[in-house]
Amino acid sequence: MMRSSRIHYILLAGVLAYGLVISLVKIDYNSVFVDEAYHIVMGRQVAAGEYCPGCPAHTGSVMTWPLFASYGDAYGGLYGARIMNMILGLALTVCIYLATRILAGKDLGLLAAAIFMFSGQALYLMKLATYDMTAALFLGGAFLMTVAAHKADSPAYEAAALVTATILLSLAAITKYLLPAFIPVFFIYVILRHGMLKTLFFALAPLTVFMTMFFWFSPYPPNPQVIYQIENAREVSSLPFATIFDWTFRWLSLAYLLAAFGLFHEKYRRLAALLILVSTPILLIHIITRAETSVNKNVVFAIIFLAPAGAMGIDHIAHLFSMRETNRAVKVFFTVSVIAIVWVYGINNLRWLEKQHPDVTPVIEYLSRNGFDGMTVATNGWDGVMYEYALEEQYPDARFDHITWFIRGDENDRRLDERVDFIICEDDYYGKQYPSERFRDILDSDCRLLEDFTIEHSWGETHALVFGRR
Amino acid sequence: MDFRNLKGERLRRVIAILAVAVTSYYLYWRVTETFNPNALFFSWTLWCAEVFGFFTTLLFFFTVWKPTTREAPEPLEGRTVDVLIPTINEPVEVLRKTLLACNDLKYPHRTLVLDDGSRDEIRELSEELGCIYLAREKHGNAKAGNLNFGLEHSEAEFIAVFDADHAPLPHFIDRLMGYFRDDELGFAQAPQEFYNIDSFQHRVSPEKKYIWAEQGLFYYIIQPGRDHWNAAYFVGTCAIIRRKALDDIDGFATGSITEDMMTSIRLQSEGWGSAYHNEPLAYGIAAETIVPFHIQRRRWGLGGWQVFFKANPFFIKGLSFPQRLCYLASLIYPFEGFQKLIFYVTPPIILFTGILPMHALDIKYLLHFIPYYALSIYAFNEMGRGYGGNLLLEQFSMGKFLTYISSLFAFLLPKRSRKFAVTPKVSGASSGRYLTPQILVVLASIAAIVWALAFLLLGERSDEFIIAVNSLWALYNTGLGIGIILYARKKFSQKRENFRIPDNIPMFYRYENGEGREKRIAVADNLTHEGISIMTIGKAPSVRKIGLELILPGGNIETEGYITHSRTVKANGHLASRLGIKLNGMPRSRRDRLTRYLSSSSVSKFLGEFSTRYETHLERRLKKDEDLPERARRARSWLPAVVTNGDSRPRYSSIQNVSETGCMIATEIPVEPGGPVKIRVIVGQDIVELDGTVARTIRLPVEDFPEALMGIKFDEPENESAKYLVKIADQIGELVE
Repeated sequence: MMRSSRIHYILLAGVLAYGLVISLVKIDYNSVFVDEAYHIVMGRQVAAGEYCPGCPAHTGSVMTWPLFASYGDAYGGLYGARIMNMILGLALTVCIYLATRILAGKDLGLLAAAIFMFSGQALYLMKLATYDMTAALFLGGAFLMTVAAHKADSPAYEAAALVTATILLSLAAITKYLLPAFIPVFFIYVILRHGMLKTLFFALAPLTVFMTMFFWFSPYPPNPQVIYQIENAREVSSLPFATIFDWTFRWLSLAYLLAAFGLFHEKYRRLAALLILVSTPILLIHIITRAETSVNKNVVFAIIFLAPAGAMGIDHIAHLFSMRETNRAVKVFFTVSVIAIVWVYGINNLRWLEKQHPDVTPVIEYLSRNGFDGMTVATNGWDGVMYEYALEEQYPDARFDHITWFIRGDENDRRLDERVDFIICEDDYYGKQYPSERFRDILDSDCRLLEDFTIEHSWGETHALVFGRR
Repeated sequence: MDFRNLKGERLRRVIAILAVAVTSYYLYWRVTETFNPNALFFSWTLWCAEVFGFFTTLLFFFTVWKPTTREAPEPLEGRTVDVLIPTINEPVEVLRKTLLACNDLKYPHRTLVLDDGSRDEIRELSEELGCIYLAREKHGNAKAGNLNFGLEHSEAEFIAVFDADHAPLPHFIDRLMGYFRDDELGFAQAPQEFYNIDSFQHRVSPEKKYIWAEQGLFYYIIQPGRDHWNAAYFVGTCAIIRRKALDDIDGFATGSITEDMMTSIRLQSEGWGSAYHNEPLAYGIAAETIVPFHIQRRRWGLGGWQVFFKANPFFIKGLSFPQRLCYLASLIYPFEGFQKLIFYVTPPIILFTGILPMHALDIKYLLHFIPYYALSIYAFNEMGRGYGGNLLLEQFSMGKFLTYISSLFAFLLPKRSRKFAVTPKVSGASSGRYLTPQILVVLASIAAIVWALAFLLLGERSDEFIIAVNSLWALYNTGLGIGIILYARKKFSQKRENFRIPDNIPMFYRYENGEGREKRIAVADNLTHEGISIMTIGKAPSVRKIGLELILPGGNIETEGYITHSRTVKANGHLASRLGIKLNGMPRSRRDRLTRYLSSSSVSKFLGEFSTRYETHLERRLKKDEDLPERARRARSWLPAVVTNGDSRPRYSSIQNVSETGCMIATEIPVEPGGPVKIRVIVGQDIVELDGTVARTIRLPVEDFPEALMGIKFDEPENESAKYLVKIADQIGELVE
């Protein structure tokens, strides 16, 4: 028994170590992404008590992830911020392990942890210094506490767990704009499981108090500008139904397939069904709004619940495929085989995700070689904050702003401000926009092309053009 | 099984119709929208395999639409019956058991032994047991020719047929003869049951008291289903046929090595009716290992091809349309070999090459496939009325797919390869070569998974979902293969020759212990005519030779034996020992008596404890609370007891199983339900007394061994004595594990 227990914890440690190593090995997989730069910069400003011009437009609370990111950045720059998320990702995996362990035993807990940690999304978000992993951890924590409340053996423990779950869910909701979608699901569950009175005192009341305090005391709470920004992003990325359906399931199909096997588990079929239901809000939001923005990241919130259901599925698959064979090694063989499929599937997804954002390292290096402190760079494409963050130590007085800040003259005679030294024009995603076309007249008359960098993505190629003055 | 009272029959049929509709749509959608234009042959091949599955399912639903439940009518009196036992190379001991059982048949009859092996020992055996021995000079037309030879020497109005390994119960003829009150009935068929439940084609769950038999679906549901359409078929054994009907078709049909099906087709096409009596009335020996299983299925496959191409019931005059459909369902099964082969090679092809038999394997495909597949399986299980066991059927399909394919080649090859091969009746040397196809499927599947995953890992391929889904499919096939390989290997490693019957019989054993002769009571278990196990409370004797006295109803059997091995455990403060005994020097008459008891009463007792069907999902859902009697966990017990009902002298008995609320005992003094009994359980030197009331009584069928199984409810449930016995029984059980 002792030996089997030790092996169990060694395997769990192995799963966590795998996540850590895979994330650390390629921590420099990409140059800083625009969201990473935004979040770190906002966090620094909030932490320093300075005015934060980007904060009112931030789609999450600046009091959570941006602050964590700035702490990480203070110790290790971009990699420090990314490592913060690795820690949060490991904590989330432990939450999933514990929640599943409470629900279905330690073996399934281990499987759930493995499914989550081997998923491309978890590994990717662990090294992307954005608010997704923080929000996921809060959601995972709420999940763990909800499960703990269900299994609580004393009213005090039940109440404490419920209040904690509510607060964690509230934190998740303020961290990421999508996650309030889980609040109704949570309330339905708590009412059904714990009754109206307990819901009122230990869930609704804490939620009301928390949200009131947040809107009252927090700097930069959500405002119409954020809502406009979310709505705008939805409109820009709106896809036909069939496409968004395929695209969403592109990331979730294996998780759902495994969870679907859980529906036939002799012991946990109902639990698997419940977990699948709980996982659906994110899916529904994307499919109903037909918004593709960040869908391949947002599915991580569904995977938190699909991982335990998938563990039940794998357990059932192993039971089914071992055909009542009493030799335990046969079941272990099938379990390991399915986990191997999940693992390779995750690696493949991770590889895709790592190359989805533009790696602008060549542009940064070009400016590093050819720029100068005090230079003015007009950007058109991804925001200049990327370059500002990447080059701030070398060029503390350089200015990076959107090209529209530097347009002078009227519509028929547009000119570029004299102060602009370089112009960087990048393609957006998937070639849907080629923003520099809008400024072709200015670029042709005032500028000359210095470099055309081809950027390889998992989905194709884009270009980053660096212009100088004529 | 009484199908008349089965819950949810209408709903079950609605589900079947729904499954057919959904499958039809799925197949239409597949052929119109999913084919890969760059791999049309592959696409068509897989689709054809799916269509074949649909076609067999459709025929299955039709066949089992309304299975019959028959109650045996009073038998016709004063008719002449000849029992034909065809034999060729079966061991004498196997045939001896069958002939002893035939002699115990209550209905007046003659037994004709038809020996195609022309063996002197069989002639002597027949003469010894009062049977008529017949051996032909020319051995043409295999079993059918041999049976026709028997007919030439018979003038009886009715012919009963048993395979050489099938021992009938004494009331076999009485049960079936009543059906012949219908003058148009050609034959009456009973299920072909097997007692060696550790055979290759059985799976047993001792905890759930459940036996799955590979042929269970056929005997328990397909035959009753066919009976509804007057299309039950004669299976070559365990049947009675009207002689006049046989004369109408010039005897048993030759021209196919599955003479039984041909005979049925001819009888029914001549307008003779059939009846299927769904009650085990004879017990035989199932294929012990994959070797006889393979030989038997190859013969069936070859016979199927012969009938399909030479006497296809679809083109024979005189059959009704439902009869034609039922026969078609029975004839196309060898094609299953090709269908399964396609299913086994498809995932490796996809994983190795990346070529798909559809243009995309995406969520849209799964949204079509999953409802179709899930509903088909659900409907199959429901229409199987609890005899299906889809997964085990799939496992056996894996076990025999190449057997069926090879049977086609045997059919196409010159005649000499089509010899009638008798299924070996005892386990013996086995060869692993019969597992080669399964090993190849497993290796190919695993290699394909590793190959595809390696390429995905290296970034050489990007069809990750296709690889994942097909890897799961290949793993499923691997599971089927591993399941059959491991089970077959287990059977290969089995050393004993005969199945040991797990009946509990009270007994005494005696031995010299240095201080004198000691006599102890025990329970015999795992019995054959060659050896037994003994379970006794106390230390195992240190001597080798012991005297034995088996307490059988109608008279004890005394003999001697040698202890071959022993094991002792502690059981609730006692020592319990299990001794392996080789019987020695038992006179032939006593040995025959033991054999007769074992092949009738013991088999009925131990198989009666098992269920051959499970409750379907629909039945579970429709079950009301009152249908759910709480049943305490029962532990198998090996404890001797003395039972009295107040009126009779005490009799030794054995506790078959015990729970905290009651027990099951086998006893010579049956008490009617409601009657009181007093049980004194002997636990070494201790006596545990229990009072109870009989809840049910099952009388066993052999007159020479008057015995009944009685379910007894303790007057004081969950009393300390009962708990004490359950604990001992559990601990003694460790000796068996």
